[in-house]
Amino acid sequence: MKLAKILAAGAILTVIAGTASAYDADWKRGRIYYRSVCTSCHAASPVGSINPSTKTKAEWTAYLQADKHAKGKDTVSGYVSKAYRAKIKSGNKAAEKFADTPDAELAADIKAFLIKGAKDGDSPATCS
Amino acid sequence: MRTAITRAALLLFCAGLLAATGPALAEEAKPEPKAVKLTTTADHSKFKQLQKAFASGPEVTKACLECHTEAAGQIHRTKHWKWEYLNPATNQKLGKKNVLNNYCISIAANQAACTNCHVGYGWKDNNFDFTKEENVDCLVCHDTTGNYRKVPGSGGQAFGKDTEFPPGSGKIVKGIDLAKISQKVGKTSRDTCGGCHFNGGGGDGVKHGDLDSSMATPEKELDVHMDAVGLDFTCATCHKTSSHDVAGSRYAPTAKDDKGVQTRGKPGSGNPATCVACHGNGPHKKEARLNNHATKIACQTCHIPTFARGGIPTKMEWDWSTSGKVDANGKQFVKRDEKKRIIYESRKGDFKLGENVVPEYAWFNGHVEYTLLTDKIEKGPQRTPINKLGGSAADGKSMIWPMKVFRGTQPYDPVNKTLVTPHTTGPDGYWNTLVWDKAIEEGMKDSGQPFSGKVDFVNTVMSWPITHMVAPKNKALGCADCHSKQSRLAGITGIYIPVRDNNTLVDTLGWSIVLLTLLGVLGHGALRIVTGRKH
Repeated sequence: MKLAKILAAGAILTVIAGTASAYDADWKRGRIYYRSVCTSCHAASPVGSINPSTKTKAEWTAYLQADKHAKGKDTVSGYVSKAYRAKIKSGNKAAEKFADTPDAELAADIKAFLIKGAKDGDSPATCS
Repeated sequence: MRTAITRAALLLFCAGLLAATGPALAEEAKPEPKAVKLTTTADHSKFKQLQKAFASGPEVTKACLECHTEAAGQIHRTKHWKWEYLNPATNQKLGKKNVLNNYCISIAANQAACTNCHVGYGWKDNNFDFTKEENVDCLVCHDTTGNYRKVPGSGGQAFGKDTEFPPGSGKIVKGIDLAKISQKVGKTSRDTCGGCHFNGGGGDGVKHGDLDSSMATPEKELDVHMDAVGLDFTCATCHKTSSHDVAGSRYAPTAKDDKGVQTRGKPGSGNPATCVACHGNGPHKKEARLNNHATKIACQTCHIPTFARGGIPTKMEWDWSTSGKVDANGKQFVKRDEKKRIIYESRKGDFKLGENVVPEYAWFNGHVEYTLLTDKIEKGPQRTPINKLGGSAADGKSMIWPMKVFRGTQPYDPVNKTLVTPHTTGPDGYWNTLVWDKAIEEGMKDSGQPFSGKVDFVNTVMSWPITHMVAPKNKALGCADCHSKQSRLAGITGIYIPVRDNNTLVDTLGWSIVLLTLLGVLGHGALRIVTGRKH
């Protein structure tokens, strides 16, 4: 059982490490997606827009790692996925522009923007 | 059960390993082209010159110049470096080093603060060495990380390690990772240009009105060219550089471009930053009548209906004469409006802000004459122009342009009758002391100009042709915006604009023709009915 746990964790870490070393995140692309997709939807709902500067780097990292959107009703990664982008691209130009961007790359881009724009980040950022 | 779980885990492990090494294995089976960066021809992280710790900006520049041997020399020739420009039309020596405005007024004796926006390192007084190559700041324009910072008050220095600044203050400025930043250099961007040009006048959107941080990732409605998910123009797409010299000038603007679309290699091409350089002189394909308008009206007039419409206000008025007040404790204070925006500061005075501002309009032929420190001015009922824009309906060179007209009240010398250059920044500057005469004395000394010791305030005005925040065509002005009694062009003289204007003779003649035509048709019809004839 112990061996099974170690192997499973190793598998996930290997995948993450492989992705991380291969891709140099583009915070500017993350900024566009966050503002054009995340914010445009949040601004219209009762939650309102969420400035990156409202959370610390650690809080954003934990939030993204937990991958729980709307208190766990669905996932954050779901809103970054190609499937979601395909669904909304007729009405959202950012989703259309990045329709073919690999999920992992776009997720890394958004994370780079949020970490950079966090309360304690290099450039605390707003939604607009 | 345990075996089954272990097997599943092993399977997952193998899958993970495969996912991580997959590309490598696939490459053996079927060679694939390697991932290529499309935005640059060189991956700077691979250069040994940049794989070391840098303590300061000039150290980075030295490394850059090992390969880019001519870059510093090119920069040294530009306005971005010299902050000086000799206008051949007026023979006035302009540039930030010489002009004044009615925002923060002047860089004289304030170099250490203002040169945070200079493309160099160390310009903190008049002893700056403009010939030194390592004084050029490559990173301020070529940073792609967004993490590059020049230290305010240092003369534009960048610190690669934690540094006490100002020296002896006990305050530590955190160093930035200059190696990492230099390894990721790339083309200029809206962010790099905007670092300074969005913040002209001392803050986001303050000066220009059509340039602020909302233009970093604008939507189509805000700027049809820079739309981050559309055409995605950078500043350099229009402001095409040549040997590091950026096209487009506020000191000698192109008000009327009749050279048509710019073709590569075409001799005598003009300014590549004009609308015409891409769109030509007859851009309206469906409504040819609009092309007639384009002979007298700048594209910007119709296509930029309002400015400061990205949610960030711009300053429209600044009254320095009300500065200097302190609270009950003798401390400086600020006042904010209902939107929490600053409208008064002890050190600066009162401001009026504007959003979605309808421009003022004027004939403009590209001729700009500045009121310089050596020019005599008279305080009177009319505002003193900081810049005088030439133009009229009759000169054949003018177009009707939209303007941000900025009105200020600023200190001047009532004895010598000149504008003045107060020293505002730093511990002994006005913003700290609130004492005008000392601040002006120091600033004028730095400018090499006399100061009588007397201080008064004069109303001034400065015009800024508006050219960014181009709206989509369906948001451009309509006919009635100008052709009505409430015309936007109410102040434009020398031209007859139907509906806005009335000429009794023309109107009587026109309506008479309409009436006579109507009578003719009715009379003809009546005769046919009476006579029963078909023809």
